[in-house]
Amino acid sequence: MASQTPAVVMDNGTGYSKLGFAGNDSPSFVFPTAIATKAGTGSAGGASRPSVANKPSFLASGGGGSSHLSAKRGTEDLDFFIGDEALAAAGGPGYGINYPIRHGQIENWDHMERFWSNSIFKYLRVEPEDHHFLLTEPPLNPPENRENTAEIMFESFNCAGLYIAVQAVLALAASWTSSKVTDRSLTGTVIDSGDGVTHVIPVAEGYVIGSSIKSIPVAGRDITYFVQSLLRDRGEPDSSLKTAEKIKEEYCYVSPDIVKEFARYDREPDRFLKHTVTSPNGRSVTVDVGYERFLAPEIFFNPEIYSSDFLTPLPNVVDGVIQSSPIDVRRGLYKNIVLSGGSTLYKDFGRRLQRDIRHLVDARIRASEARSGGARSGGLDVAVVTHKRQRHGPWFGGSLLGQTPEFRSYCHTKAEYDEIGPSIVRRFALLGGPGST
Amino acid sequence: MSQSLRPYLQCVRSSLTAALAISNFASQTSERHNVPEIEAASSPELLLNPLTVSRNENEKVLIEPSVNSVRVSIRIKQADEIEHILVHKFTRFLTMRAESFFILRRKPVKGYDISFLITNFHTEAMLKHKLVDFILQFMEEVDKEISEMKLFLNARARFVAESFLTPFD
Amino acid sequence: MLLLDYENILIRSLLTERFSGAPPASIDQIVSDFDGVTFHLSTPESKTKILISINVKCFRELVQYGAQQVLEREYGPYIVAPEPGYDFSVVIDLESLPDDQEAKDDLIMRLALMKRNAMAAPFEKAFDEFAQLAEEASRYTSESAPQGVEEGGEVMTIHYREEEAIYIKASHDRVTVIFSTVFREETDRIFGKVFLQEFVDARRRVLTLQNAPQVLFRNDAPLELAGVPGLQDAGDGKISYITFVLFPRHLTPQRRYETISHIQTFRDYFHYHIKASKAYIHTRMRKRTADFLQVLNRARPENEERERKTASGRTFRVQG
Repeated sequence: MASQTPAVVMDNGTGYSKLGFAGNDSPSFVFPTAIATKAGTGSAGGASRPSVANKPSFLASGGGGSSHLSAKRGTEDLDFFIGDEALAAAGGPGYGINYPIRHGQIENWDHMERFWSNSIFKYLRVEPEDHHFLLTEPPLNPPENRENTAEIMFESFNCAGLYIAVQAVLALAASWTSSKVTDRSLTGTVIDSGDGVTHVIPVAEGYVIGSSIKSIPVAGRDITYFVQSLLRDRGEPDSSLKTAEKIKEEYCYVSPDIVKEFARYDREPDRFLKHTVTSPNGRSVTVDVGYERFLAPEIFFNPEIYSSDFLTPLPNVVDGVIQSSPIDVRRGLYKNIVLSGGSTLYKDFGRRLQRDIRHLVDARIRASEARSGGARSGGLDVAVVTHKRQRHGPWFGGSLLGQTPEFRSYCHTKAEYDEIGPSIVRRFALLGGPGST
Repeated sequence: MSQSLRPYLQCVRSSLTAALAISNFASQTSERHNVPEIEAASSPELLLNPLTVSRNENEKVLIEPSVNSVRVSIRIKQADEIEHILVHKFTRFLTMRAESFFILRRKPVKGYDISFLITNFHTEAMLKHKLVDFILQFMEEVDKEISEMKLFLNARARFVAESFLTPFD
Repeated sequence: MLLLDYENILIRSLLTERFSGAPPASIDQIVSDFDGVTFHLSTPESKTKILISINVKCFRELVQYGAQQVLEREYGPYIVAPEPGYDFSVVIDLESLPDDQEAKDDLIMRLALMKRNAMAAPFEKAFDEFAQLAEEASRYTSESAPQGVEEGGEVMTIHYREEEAIYIKASHDRVTVIFSTVFREETDRIFGKVFLQEFVDARRRVLTLQNAPQVLFRNDAPLELAGVPGLQDAGDGKISYITFVLFPRHLTPQRRYETISHIQTFRDYFHYHIKASKAYIHTRMRKRTADFLQVLNRARPENEERERKTASGRTFRVQG
């Protein structure tokens, strides 16, 4: 049966999990990677061992209807919620919220196993024995984590087949939908900016160049905080985090030059907008939206306006990453800079990035031309790829690759796992790489 | 603790403590090598007589001493199919993590469920009596764990069955 | 989560969003459900017309047992010609939805239950047959009953999964539903046996479950299935047959809907819980492994601080 069913694609990120079926253009479910468990059992990983209900039910079934309740003991591992329901449940009494993934890597396997169990049976509603699974992992994920993942997927869920792909590689594959991309290569630089952290990841022919990865502590959450601080400075009637986030998502864009942009705002007052916040009790207040429209995303390009610790602009980081990669792939890395994640969605983000990187590159080329005394450089092509599937880039790349006919042959199957053991997932043939169609 | 368990564990403890009298010993067969002789088994004069301590036909411990290493293999009680599968699952789970267990052998000796290999390097780096403590605690707890898991399974099955049938009521 | 939902949660949430007046957007999603059922949600003509198609593996068999009628009853005005590759399609026009919220919710729920409704046909047929047979049987004493009434209806077979099937047979005093299920793995087989044994015992043991259907389980085909073609031989114990005997009290028109929904989820409920138990056992093993490691680490002597020397033999001294 596994031969006809669509593959399940799950991209579990620090903030959000994206679940769905291969072949679709968007994930079926996007919800926070959160699990709400009974406060007593989970959160601290407690010293107490999980308890067992060893009392036979006939002892407890005296009082008619109460038998059902008393039999509930020993089943707290079934009593949990994931995703949005978890956030809702944690608001009430009795449940504590847990985030099983930290910094992209799975920290709490017990919670993650249950998170997957609920994802599969409640949300996706599939029998894992019938489906192949495509999971994602962050770059530099230790192989032990892969093995643990495989152990859960194969031993608990008996899934038919498993493929674990690196998010950055999938993000590259997702960019193939862009009209600008002509050759389907897996070489490029991925800028993955989510809520917590921004990574710049060089990928050469499907393999991540681990030594050159750089992270930037500026991402979506920081932009929200920055918007919030601007609102507070002006003394707006509502400067909650939620409002700041809304303003960020709806009004922000990247300007080519902030000085000119300031001048333009002074010339054209209609650039100042009003944002109406309706609170649950029906009252609504109006918040002015001004310079933060272009100032907020600017912290990628001029981090000094927000942070005093981290001062390297994103284009310089990207340039540095590519310069530290092997020389024979640099041309490919400059030519295919792919954006992925929610914080790269600002209008003109890609264009500004491309311009700034090109300036850096051109300046270097001119300098070396001058030093070499007359030799002419052929120039270097810099291209930043913006595409429609950026927001869920890794998921979409997974969906794209998961529907190809050869996907199944790249998976490790349950039979192979039983034969070789978890170490089998240390190696995967490169999906969509050279040699495949 | 049941009547026969105490002497059984006591016997394993003393036999194991005695067997752990091991010292550094370079390989006689290949130069500049130092291998656990019990695993290499290349020189019969370095191996001591193996010893089996058994509580009954289902529970026994095999201690194989040699000049620089001791191999301890445990056969865990498995009364029925369920316990068998649980023991299998648990030992497999443990051996998967052998890396962090130092003395755990990745593959059990034939006829046993789990094996430990203690070399002189282990006894030098770690406290010998604590190592023995560990093995004994392992033996005690593993039985408890298996029977608790079995109880859990039965309780869960009962609960699941009742919950499914209740809506028909 | 204890019991599985009957409806497809994605269809439900998607339609709830669309019906609530959200700006129309194009949809193109392939959605899977248990038992190899595939849905296709799309907006092929315009953004306000949502086409929902379902593909059920055993649709041909279901049609034999009246699935078309059941679906027509449920979705009458919305039915359109099936999309190629699918068995049954409906189109919902967002511009002509029922006005009041309750009717909308009802429609959403009915659509989300499409799989349940498709699979319900043979059950409904069996329940009707039962009513008819019971009616006939009441006219005879047990001795004088003609052969047909005593034996009951034919066995309906639904191969809802590749190797697994549901068999339904109506008699004059009961409806027998038999699930055959396959365990692909040894652990599952043994866990499954424990679970099934409890299903069998539950009714006997718990007072409040006296009225639940009787459950039987065995590894070879039950007598009811004698002569049914295509039965696999269960020599290796991989196939289990689970029999639910539904008594007249479960078959009353009031209970019927709920009974059909519930019994359909049996197989997936059962497999879900086997997997959830394995997950719990993993949790225990992780905890226990961590405990063992702690014990082992006690064997490592503490304060192994050695004197550090430079190449020339001089030592560092920590300034206290």
